[in-house]
Amino acid sequence: MSEPLLTVENQRTAFATGRGLVRAVDGVSFTLERGRTLGVVGESGSGKSVLSRSIMRLLPPNARSSGEVRLGGRDLTAMSEKALRALRGPEISIVFQDPMTSLNPVMTIGAQIGEVLTRHLGMSRKAAKARSVELLASVGLPQPDVRVDQHPHQLSGGMRQRVAIAIAIACEPALLIADEPTTALDVTVQAEILDLLARQQAERNMAMILITHDMGVVAGRCDDVAVMYAGRIVEQASTEDLFRDTRMPYTSALLASIPRLDDPPHRKLEAIAGRPPDLIHPPAGCAFSPRCRYADDLCRSQPPALEDAGRGHRFACWRPMTMEAAE
Amino acid sequence: MTVQERIREDHAAPAGAFLDVRDMVVEYPLAGGAKVHAVSGISFQVAKGETLGLVGESGCGKSSAARAVLQLPRPTSGAVRLGEEELTHLRGAALQRARRRFQMIFQDPIASLNPRRRIRDIVAAPLEIVGEGDRAARYKRVAEMLDLVGLNADQAMERRPHEFSGGQCQRISIARALILRPDLLVCDEPVSALDVSVQAQILNLLEDLKHRFGLTLLFISHDLAVVKHVSDRVAVMYLGMMCETADAQSIYRRPAHPYTRTLLSAAPEPDPGRKPAPLDMLAGELPSPVNPPSGCRFRTRCPMAQARCAAEVPQMRRLAPGHAVACHFPLQ
Repeated sequence: MSEPLLTVENQRTAFATGRGLVRAVDGVSFTLERGRTLGVVGESGSGKSVLSRSIMRLLPPNARSSGEVRLGGRDLTAMSEKALRALRGPEISIVFQDPMTSLNPVMTIGAQIGEVLTRHLGMSRKAAKARSVELLASVGLPQPDVRVDQHPHQLSGGMRQRVAIAIAIACEPALLIADEPTTALDVTVQAEILDLLARQQAERNMAMILITHDMGVVAGRCDDVAVMYAGRIVEQASTEDLFRDTRMPYTSALLASIPRLDDPPHRKLEAIAGRPPDLIHPPAGCAFSPRCRYADDLCRSQPPALEDAGRGHRFACWRPMTMEAAE
Repeated sequence: MTVQERIREDHAAPAGAFLDVRDMVVEYPLAGGAKVHAVSGISFQVAKGETLGLVGESGCGKSSAARAVLQLPRPTSGAVRLGEEELTHLRGAALQRARRRFQMIFQDPIASLNPRRRIRDIVAAPLEIVGEGDRAARYKRVAEMLDLVGLNADQAMERRPHEFSGGQCQRISIARALILRPDLLVCDEPVSALDVSVQAQILNLLEDLKHRFGLTLLFISHDLAVVKHVSDRVAVMYLGMMCETADAQSIYRRPAHPYTRTLLSAAPEPDPGRKPAPLDMLAGELPSPVNPPSGCRFRTRCPMAQARCAAEVPQMRRLAPGHAVACHFPLQ
């Protein structure tokens, strides 16, 4: 079997702060094949965004990172900043949550897309402009020949996110990371942007990591889903298995706490008591144990390892749920 | 019969309407004489003890409508009756007195608390403003209220907002809003900034407190599932106009307005068996509220729009008891 497109091996990313070391990503390993979509779901502070930046190698100076990130056989953690820059765009790229802050407010849309094309593909400025218009058309921006000369503030939030996607796919990367790409958008615009990402991915055979806090967003649009809690993957499976055969109590509790359109009004939601752990002083055992209704002494004293239970369904739990318990 | 009495007669509220909003218009002036048409003549009623969910996307006017109900600021025109009091007629001290009866909680729980003040003083502030009790009596009320919203009063009283999480700050906001025992609580996106596990805690808390205090709730959110969860009835808004109102079950089972159907189909459901359907809406952007489309405001995005939709503003009409829609060609 050939090597997967992306292999993340025991990635740890911590930040030195005045209060101590924050272990934002605490030993994450997974692989991603070409053309596949992995959803990474977690709540605030679960480490999902730090994970995306660790893969992109876009970490601030106070970050301490260890582990291995291999993309197409090359270890990104061992590469120079110059070599990484050559990779970002043609091999791997990212779409951020807030297109207003990820786009440059004083450059035209065309200049921002063109910059990628001239730099990485060696296009002339004229050719880059023509290609920018094509890219804007392909992401569904109305009047691309007019918009190409406009600035970000002249566009709506949805249009800006389309531009950010056009920039990210300009050099046909093998891997696109979409970090909460629709969180700042209205629900109808969200549906349009997620459709756009799916279409671009299929056309270009890109692999995608879709990072979100919304279980609804990953349910319809990912091949596999990884659930993160306190800096670790606590469960990962095919989307179908994760929702239908949930093993980790946190995943199950998260699913139960979501209000659903099918529910009758005023159903009492199953809230998860307490709050996520302090990442400076995480609990000794399983990080979810203080909030877990099934936790026992073993859970509170020893962290469970992420183990494969077959068919690629991995979970980290001493007291995994069976189908009956989930019902 | 005076003109005003006749108007009141014409607009007779359904039995038991506690909050009765009629033809409310909210406009914001712009330089050069143009206006933002934030809310363009909406009417709705909420019965005592009922929760009305107001749902729509950015720019639909739901927050402007909620603030106009609270006279913050006063609507440009229209009537807002709470119980027997017409709020738009009240001025000065009378309005100040009436404010005890309606309170609000906001989206960003941390930004809505003064970071320099202690929790006990934040929650006691409404009591202080209306001049109720002495300091000791006020703090006693604060401690009781903090317990009711699920915070440990002994630990919380002396602290400041930055020592609490978003969910805890929202509990503090709720305690402050309820300490005067209002009749009406307006919740503007109260859980949008919270993680889902915390969101569920706050939604459950609001439901508990609603029963405990017999509150009437106006609940604003962009999230259809959240709105359905807490509401008895739901009103859908688009670009300053009301599209559809119905009880919470029927609006989800049988949406009559094409926009309601679009919103429902766009909502991501945590069910891998249900593949996302293509959006029932024409590509394009939300029109500007400065220069909204003629006729039905949704017509520029509506896949079913016809000539009549541009020519004539659709009026709200009754489809079934409790179900009304503003559409010339409602869905079957």
